[in-house]
Amino acid sequence: MKITDTINSLQELNFDLKYEVKNNNELYVRIKADQIRKIVLICVELYKFNYICEFSIEGDKLSTEGEETTINCVFSNSKYGYYVICSYITQKNPIDLSDIIYQSRLFQREINKDYDYKVKEISGTGAYQVAVGPVHAGIIEPGHFRFSVMGEPIENLEIRLMYKYRGIEKQCMDINANSLNLMFERVSGESSVAYGEVYAILVEKILGAQITEEIKAFRIVLLELERMYNYLDDLGGIANDIGYSYVAKKFGYFSEIIHQLCERVSGSRFMRNAIVPLGINIDFNKQKKKDIIDTLKSIKTRVGSIIKMSVNAVSFLDRVEDTGMVSRIMAKKLCMTGVVARACNLKYDVRVAFPYELYKDIKKSINIETKGGVFERYKLKCRELKDAFNFIEKALTYISIDIKRDKQEICLKDGLEAIASVETVKGELVVYGLTGKDNKFDRIYFKTPSFTNWTGMSEAVLGEIIPDFPLINKSFNMSYSENDR
Amino acid sequence: MNNIFDRIKYGTETIKDPLKNNEFSYGKIVAREKACNNCRACINECAMDAIRINTNAFGEHIVSVDKKKCIYCRNCVNICPNSILKMTSDYKMAELELAGDKLREKVYSIFNRSLVLRVVDTGSCNACMSELSALQNTFYDISRFGINVAASPRHADGLVVTGAVTINMKEALEKTYHAIAEPKIVIAVGSCAYNGGIFKEGDGVYGVVKDILPVDLVIPGCPPSPQAIIFGLLKLMDKR
Repeated sequence: MKITDTINSLQELNFDLKYEVKNNNELYVRIKADQIRKIVLICVELYKFNYICEFSIEGDKLSTEGEETTINCVFSNSKYGYYVICSYITQKNPIDLSDIIYQSRLFQREINKDYDYKVKEISGTGAYQVAVGPVHAGIIEPGHFRFSVMGEPIENLEIRLMYKYRGIEKQCMDINANSLNLMFERVSGESSVAYGEVYAILVEKILGAQITEEIKAFRIVLLELERMYNYLDDLGGIANDIGYSYVAKKFGYFSEIIHQLCERVSGSRFMRNAIVPLGINIDFNKQKKKDIIDTLKSIKTRVGSIIKMSVNAVSFLDRVEDTGMVSRIMAKKLCMTGVVARACNLKYDVRVAFPYELYKDIKKSINIETKGGVFERYKLKCRELKDAFNFIEKALTYISIDIKRDKQEICLKDGLEAIASVETVKGELVVYGLTGKDNKFDRIYFKTPSFTNWTGMSEAVLGEIIPDFPLINKSFNMSYSENDR
Repeated sequence: MNNIFDRIKYGTETIKDPLKNNEFSYGKIVAREKACNNCRACINECAMDAIRINTNAFGEHIVSVDKKKCIYCRNCVNICPNSILKMTSDYKMAELELAGDKLREKVYSIFNRSLVLRVVDTGSCNACMSELSALQNTFYDISRFGINVAASPRHADGLVVTGAVTINMKEALEKTYHAIAEPKIVIAVGSCAYNGGIFKEGDGVYGVVKDILPVDLVIPGCPPSPQAIIFGLLKLMDKR
């Protein structure tokens, strides 16, 4: 149903609500606190919207007693590409929605600081616990895992994160909008470009600005380059955890080549400070274009042959097939996004549902796999990688002139809000921004893809043995940094 | 079998000297002399507060950029109206922190031949972690210098810390440090580890590494490239 149908339908239901459409595809519904449960039930059961997130507008300032706070619940319609934001005012804690939406408890734990968190415990003969972390054995970020094991199979996995909580959302409120993209890029280093892009889209949405087609195409080139080195690292990581070191090292080598290409194009191996609102922060000329085409051409067939080599090895297939399965129903229940969800037969990709830049012309279909195991995630990452090669080729055909560095001063008006979303390497990233005084934001909220996908991993390991955990972990490859913020 | 054919066909895919000059790398920001008119545009632009302008007795303004604080975003280079600031490709910026301390230098000589490290992330954006794992790919292949990453702090000679130290990670960092056998060294990788970087005013940030542990080596950059990290480690091992 389209956005107008939703409005008509909501009016027919005789609720005491105020609605407003902003930025073409955002429907803001203000409702009283006692009716929120009803409307959420209608959104989920009747309209079949996807639940995205829940957050308070005041953020961390909530702690003072008795003060009113506004809670926003965000839903999306992926078919017609719009968001529905149901907001209500409450004086105490947020209203419990966890019996309607399972994942709501994750977000409510963030809003409500004295949420009662219960750890699941397993008891009985042969039951024991294995604690891992926060300092891990490899070069990984910190996080604590607690496996409850009965004999061999894992019965429960408790993931304790937030070791890296730095308070980025709060810090964003003190930074001028002109240099806020630096902060955004450092939420997660692996997806720097995607975070830069989401900030650019957010500001462009608020200002209602349009950019030229060449810059749009160039942004796609950068986004897909980032996707490439991340997936190459992931594939290498999976091969490494199995012990197929030849393939692992080759993927690492290709990833290094892409990193160096990024360095030549933008001056930074992670292409930082390249995408800025209303423009682009680096020059692009024919030489660089030729460099990109030549480098990608030189490794394209090679990447294909290495992928083939890995999937033809029986010992490799033995480890990955039917390992770490997540069912489609569970993936839906846990609100998983990105490659991980698409491997479980969930057909959802932000690049298709909410097309940004030139993805409308370039990306036509969604890659999905059905079974939802490690091998499906591996295959899907290979396909996304192949797509990335094609998308860069296609996007480069849109660029026929040299692009000059163009960074404009931005000036934001007070009290405007917008929601922007981008498909990062990990999944769907949704950012809410509310502008304030002095060219700063009053509230920035990140719904990062890892935040919900981490719970998917504790589902995937159930019934597996602990030695398979690193493999499943690598096939998910979630970011601790963006989860903790 | 396929591996062997592939190996024969493409040979060794590595480079002889990982420290070769890389003209595309970011590096030290230098200022042209006697040209600054003290407009302070760069100081206002800098998110890290890394730029200082000093005026000497002759009335000349001297711009200096603190390479350890800088996050190399190039905004100051781009905004300077007289294009005084210039970014070089000199990535060799790592510095020993306890320079002049003879006792420490003796300790470093123990690690001359090999160095086993333990990496702890205390609140970085994971770009530094990504670069540290890139050290092990066939391109840079850090084990050729005798440098390895250990799985346990008990087996390590030194601790590599990335990111500002968050309140939640402070205890884990201290425990890891105490688990390492003496003599031990601490290496801070990235501008966040040196002075908190962009996160230094964050809510959950406790402080920086040097407040908690004695830091021996600082490798600046955001994130430092694998070449810069190799240069820093070799400097410590007295091979460069």
